[in-house]
Amino acid sequence: MDPVTLALWAIRLAFLAALYVFLALVVRALLRDIRAAARDPAGALGRLVVITSAGVPAAGSVFPLDALTTLGRDLGSSVVLDDPFASARHAVLTFRGRGWYVEDLGSTNGTLVNGVPIAGALPLGFGDELQIGDTRMRLERGIR
Amino acid sequence: MTAAALPGFPRPILRRRELGLLLAVGVALLLGSLSLGFTRNGVPSLADPAGLATYLVTLTAVHVALVVAGRRVDEVLLPVVGLLGGIGLLLAARLPQGLVVARVGTATLGLASLQLVWLVLALGIAAVVAITVRSDRWLRLYKYTWAALGLALLLLTFVFGSDVNGTRLTLELGPVSGQPSELLKVILVVFFATYLAENRVLLADARVRVVGRLTLPPAPYLLPAGLMLALALGIVVVQRDLGAALLFFAVFLCLFYLATGSRVDVVLGIALFLAGFVALALVFPHVRDRVATWLDPWADPLGTGYQTIQALHAFARGGLLGTGLGAGLPLIGGQLPIPAVHTDFPLAALGEELGMTGVLAILGCYLVIVSRGLRIAAAAADDVRALLAAGLALVIGVQAAIIAAGNLKLIPLTGITLPFISYGGSSLLVNGLIVGLLLAFSDRGPALPREPRRARRFARGGE
Repeated sequence: MDPVTLALWAIRLAFLAALYVFLALVVRALLRDIRAAARDPAGALGRLVVITSAGVPAAGSVFPLDALTTLGRDLGSSVVLDDPFASARHAVLTFRGRGWYVEDLGSTNGTLVNGVPIAGALPLGFGDELQIGDTRMRLERGIR
Repeated sequence: MTAAALPGFPRPILRRRELGLLLAVGVALLLGSLSLGFTRNGVPSLADPAGLATYLVTLTAVHVALVVAGRRVDEVLLPVVGLLGGIGLLLAARLPQGLVVARVGTATLGLASLQLVWLVLALGIAAVVAITVRSDRWLRLYKYTWAALGLALLLLTFVFGSDVNGTRLTLELGPVSGQPSELLKVILVVFFATYLAENRVLLADARVRVVGRLTLPPAPYLLPAGLMLALALGIVVVQRDLGAALLFFAVFLCLFYLATGSRVDVVLGIALFLAGFVALALVFPHVRDRVATWLDPWADPLGTGYQTIQALHAFARGGLLGTGLGAGLPLIGGQLPIPAVHTDFPLAALGEELGMTGVLAILGCYLVIVSRGLRIAAAAADDVRALLAAGLALVIGVQAAIIAAGNLKLIPLTGITLPFISYGGSSLLVNGLIVGLLLAFSDRGPALPREPRRARRFARGGE
């Protein structure tokens, strides 16, 4: 085989090989990504993002949620709300089966879901807005 | 921890993974260009070096823009799209430049230059959308407006569209012409995603028994699904475009399944679509002709079956490793074997010149796009955004699958483009928009601040 044909062949195959090298690099990146997500289960059930607040917690704060998360002014709450209109033990978020539920614990000023006051336990969807006093929060899916 | 969305400049975030992958893309494209130039000139040289340089500079510019913008968005999508676009550019440089000619002022632009212009514009759109779109409220609040707009576009094409190659896809408004069905696919995904996310509980749980153990969602909630089926079949009849119909309906079924997890509905949807298609084929002669051509292109090898047969020959000539860029596609009487190779049959051309190996790599790239989209969907903050991300990525993946199947004679030939590779302004711009939205939706928000080192030492010391 003359050298020109040989060089042509080599470059052709090198191009095809380069495509697969690229794909291999991409697959490696994807695998790393999935492993990193599997290693970090924090907030896998959901997150509570504060949209507007009366002070503490500041707007933009993110709380990874446990299956049972209490909200209120009481310092023993999972999410402590320093809001004059929040009761000490105001509301509780529970993860039951496949979804989230919110329940008002008999607070003075009530709990609002998407602007509507709730009574009893109510299913809470991802993207729904929860308001306690002047603190507005959004339930978001956990990072997996 | 507070949000970083305060006024002022955001802090740049290095994207090492993206940079590394882009380097690999650059090397691959240089090798491809070298291979094409060598075949064409007989001496080692780059084909269309100016075009390639412009393209690589644009990719780098998008990367730098994303770094400066400082958002933590996906780092794999841009390189993958960049490689596909680059392969499309190589193909455009390899084909005769006279396939598409446009005059801009005094200059006459050929196929490769035009493809480059559209690609650069598409990457620009992707970058702008990825950096500026921070909320999807504008998409979800006006979902019925979007749906109405999409239907209006479709109706306009039905009525005023001009027929190109027997399908009515192109809408000409004065000097501007475009294919609204490209934009329509984004609009439909937006509508489905918002609609299904709102009604998923009803669709999945409030089911009515029909026969035996078969249950269906209550009728009022099924209405949009029925409308979608009618719309898809309407496109087959009026636009004579099986590809767009299949694309819209397949993406709708995928999103329906993602939202409700009900396999029965999906099987039922496929059965109804097939039944409707068969019924249409029995009633309308032009649908029947298309099916007949698909089943037996050799009945009319120089007429209706010509393109399909030539595409099959191209794949056969390519074999496992291909003939090499620039060495395939023998001219028949001074003409390309496949007339619409740059729009409808790029995969056949690539199948001939890069072989099955190259085609599998290209299909692998589309698979990566879909997998990234589903990953973005899994990490999305809520249902609407999850369905949006999944739907947008699936549009690209399903479209690639449909046109690949059409090229290979697995399904009747369809007139849709191979995303990022086919020539076509509307297609490239809309796909750029899709990539931009996917990038924007993949934003993981401001990074968590690092744990202070002293606190950690303190905690260890306290134990």
